[in-house]
Amino acid sequence: MAVDELQAIIERCQILEEADFKGEDFNLFQVAGQKCLEDGYAAQLLEVIQNEKNKVIIKNMGWNLISPLVRCIFMYKQEDDKRENCLMILDQLAQLCNPKELFLGLLEQIEQTSGEQVCQTVMLLLQPLQTVLLKLQNKKAYSVGLSLAMIMNQLTPLPVPYTKQQIQEDKLGLCQCCNAVVDFAKPFVNEVVKNMEKSSEYNDMELKEELIKFCMQSLKYPLLAAQLEQLEGIEDHPFRHFATEITDILWNIGELIPLVFVHHKGKSPHWENQEFADIERKNSADSLACLSYLMFVQHFGVECFPVVFSPSYLLLCNMTHIEVLLKRTEESILSKGLDLFESCLLRMEDNSLLHHYLELRDFINVPQDLVKIMTLCPMEHMRKKSLNILQLFIDKFDTEGKYTLFRCLLKTSNHAGVEGYIIKNIKDQIHLALMKEYDNIWFTGHHLISLLDLVLSLPEGAETDLLQNSDRIMASLNLLRYLVIKDCESDNQTGVWTTLGKIEQNFLKPLRVGLNMSKAHYEAEIKNKKENRKEAHSSNTVCSVTVSGEKMPAMTTGMQLQVLHSALFTFDLIGSVLARVEELIEVKTKAVMDENS
Amino acid sequence: MTTDEATKSEGEVQAAALAERGEDITPSKDRGVLKIIKRPGSEGECPMIGDKVYVHYKGKLANGKKFDSSRDRNEPFIFSLGKGQVIKAWDIGVATMKKGEICYLLCKPEYAYGSAGSAPKIPSNATLFFEVELLDFKGEDLFEDGGIIRRIRRKGEGYSNPNEGATVEIHLEGFCGGRRFDCKDVKFVVGEGEDHDIPIGIDKALEKMQRGEHCILYLSPRYGFGEAGKPKFGIQGNAELVYEVTLKSFEKAKESWEMDTKEKLEQAAVVKEKGTMYFKEGKYLQAVIQYGKIVSWLEMEYGLSEKESKASDSFLLAAFLNLAMCYLKLREYAKAVECCDKALGLDQDNEKGLYRRGEARLLMNEFELAKCDFQKVLEVNPQNKAAKSQISVCQKKTKEHNERDRRIYANMFTKFAERDAK
Repeated sequence: MAVDELQAIIERCQILEEADFKGEDFNLFQVAGQKCLEDGYAAQLLEVIQNEKNKVIIKNMGWNLISPLVRCIFMYKQEDDKRENCLMILDQLAQLCNPKELFLGLLEQIEQTSGEQVCQTVMLLLQPLQTVLLKLQNKKAYSVGLSLAMIMNQLTPLPVPYTKQQIQEDKLGLCQCCNAVVDFAKPFVNEVVKNMEKSSEYNDMELKEELIKFCMQSLKYPLLAAQLEQLEGIEDHPFRHFATEITDILWNIGELIPLVFVHHKGKSPHWENQEFADIERKNSADSLACLSYLMFVQHFGVECFPVVFSPSYLLLCNMTHIEVLLKRTEESILSKGLDLFESCLLRMEDNSLLHHYLELRDFINVPQDLVKIMTLCPMEHMRKKSLNILQLFIDKFDTEGKYTLFRCLLKTSNHAGVEGYIIKNIKDQIHLALMKEYDNIWFTGHHLISLLDLVLSLPEGAETDLLQNSDRIMASLNLLRYLVIKDCESDNQTGVWTTLGKIEQNFLKPLRVGLNMSKAHYEAEIKNKKENRKEAHSSNTVCSVTVSGEKMPAMTTGMQLQVLHSALFTFDLIGSVLARVEELIEVKTKAVMDENS
Repeated sequence: MTTDEATKSEGEVQAAALAERGEDITPSKDRGVLKIIKRPGSEGECPMIGDKVYVHYKGKLANGKKFDSSRDRNEPFIFSLGKGQVIKAWDIGVATMKKGEICYLLCKPEYAYGSAGSAPKIPSNATLFFEVELLDFKGEDLFEDGGIIRRIRRKGEGYSNPNEGATVEIHLEGFCGGRRFDCKDVKFVVGEGEDHDIPIGIDKALEKMQRGEHCILYLSPRYGFGEAGKPKFGIQGNAELVYEVTLKSFEKAKESWEMDTKEKLEQAAVVKEKGTMYFKEGKYLQAVIQYGKIVSWLEMEYGLSEKESKASDSFLLAAFLNLAMCYLKLREYAKAVECCDKALGLDQDNEKGLYRRGEARLLMNEFELAKCDFQKVLEVNPQNKAAKSQISVCQKKTKEHNERDRRIYANMFTKFAERDAK
């Protein structure tokens, strides 16, 4: 019987000296103990462990029981007595065993779990682990760091619950587990705080470093991907709670504000070697960006943040983080970037951001990232949001800044829709310039002429694809029409009349030619199709389109005709605005000529 | 009275006092920032633009509610003055304070957070009240090594700075120990200030100055005239210098991508000569700048004809070898090794490259590697006596080091054994 075997080995070891315990004694103990548990004799095992006489034996050999113990605990149901006994055994082992060895045993157990078992195992073992760590003398900081790193490593592969339903369900127990881990860390935080108030001993720097590492890791996972908004119907949002705890830890150990500004200080104080500093910076980029989001969007820890910084400085400091977040494609992370950007911009007054900032690389890169999102992101609400934020960004700059930004985006966006949007913005700025009393040198006069050269041109002359670029072309024509109407030739504030010749050469003439060519071409296509319709529908498709493994059906002739007709419609639209513009120009030039004669 | 009421009425009294008697310190006199001195500071100057400033402060809203206090954080608040890092009221207000002064500031929203406010603590269009204590201030440490401290008297414009090789027009006055030894208007190329008896610190500082800036620079000897001093000006070795510089205008040098290959090769010849001239005069920092230009122009140059390629490689080889020499003199051994590696990449049996790398490695205590290099030198040129003697130096040092290590580790293991036994 299992219990007898256990008794036997116990008795044998009771008479031995501690130093005389042999390898086979350990083995026999482990096997016997394991068998007891598996055969359901947990109660008896507990008795043996609780027996004072066996203290020394348990101290040395107890840690071997961790693995079978954990297995059994998960086997038994909640209400089962045997489970209770097992839990008590676990507790006793934590009290009695050699801390160093038990620590390794617990860590090993955590390392070996995976998948659905991870959170449950971690939560089960956190208490004994904490007990053991508090008992360690030497290398406590190192062990605490190792434990936290190991636990977070095991959690990282798990998917982060995102929707309200997923969070409430918490299928794998991640939400619960994360919060259990911060509770686990609390006594160590308290220790660091207490020692900070005294002098700084080397050992405590180490523990503080380990806690910082843990916080940085947590910011990256799960917080970076987690949904952190207030959710209706969820009283205590587990990730918001977790985020609060993490920022509290950082604040208590005095690292919250320094971390928020760390990249701005330039040289990292920790590393001599620049290469290591670069690696550290890359690894911490995600965590720091998440921290900024927590502070400035969700206001965690903002109580401690100094309220004297200028809004433009806050934007400057956050640009790196915004760039890091906007380069990602996961919705949860991308939306954090957009929110952070928006919150920084909303702190500023319109026209207050100096154009000098555009000399900084981030300020040029980030709007280009926004353009990528608004043109390429598959999620519509993201596209809309990034467009709104781009407009907000434009609005905050002074006039020279707006001017520079428009030039940059016209040159780099490579997307007719975006270009059209920018051109509309230019029109609005010119409108403001013409209405105001004082001189706006950037949207009138020679600066504007230079910008108009960019706007009022066809990228490939008469051969430009008018359909592809229709958004841009329409916007340009509308702008020209506005200028011609609003700015009298006698005033010529915008300079459009000076540059009219060039506009006609680079824009109006090739546009007229291109329109004629395209219309003729498409009309010919339509005629062909209509004639071919009478013949059998041939399946000589030039190319086929496959989506998700399924080949798309070829377009019917009817559909093809529809497309061709709608192209013609677009050309007509462009043509009519073009005609109107030319008419207006003629009228005005004639009026002036009449005046002059 | 409850604490809240007490705070409120105290706040109201202070605000009222400010509104009545406060001094309008705004440049446009629009009463946007009003100040009353609560406790005057020590005599002396006020902090200047760019200075690192240390303050303690308390901030309250118009209704008396405290929204922030540095003392609650147990840490002074530190920032760079006059750079737009803080709200306008502070850049204006703190610049009028003296060290040790405590003052009250009443700030209209236009000089604080305006109509946007600052979520979550500051509402829109909020007038703010501050009590500020100026603890200390010091000049800006330009390279974070204490070598050059800058204090700006008048701020320049823009974010653009002269780059290396830019042509600058400056007014300059040099002081040593309170005595002025130099005063002139001069136009020169950044990095070549030496030609006008201008120390390297000025060249370096210019790269961080803005157009129109007027500042004071405190140079440690390393960035000044070094150990040699400047007899022409009557300056001893290892002297600390103070310069007042106004950057009147500058024209940026062409970036590498703006020059074509022909231009680069032409300039490389000019620059190489300049570098050699500086080297002969012992001006290693300036020489490094010149040779460095050759590297930055030609190292990544593509599309060269065969003739151009040959010329480019020859310049690069000379540049790397000379840079290695300079770094050896400057005691930056790792960089010297890097340059030798690159030189040897172009010409793997280059005697000078191998020898200099050996020297650098020897000085970094990498005796085995150094010995290898010197041995290679002998393979290339068996007559090289210097290399021979260096090899024996390596061997000697290796032996010494091994002896020392043996002694240290011997003790270490005994210590471990003793500890484990306990």
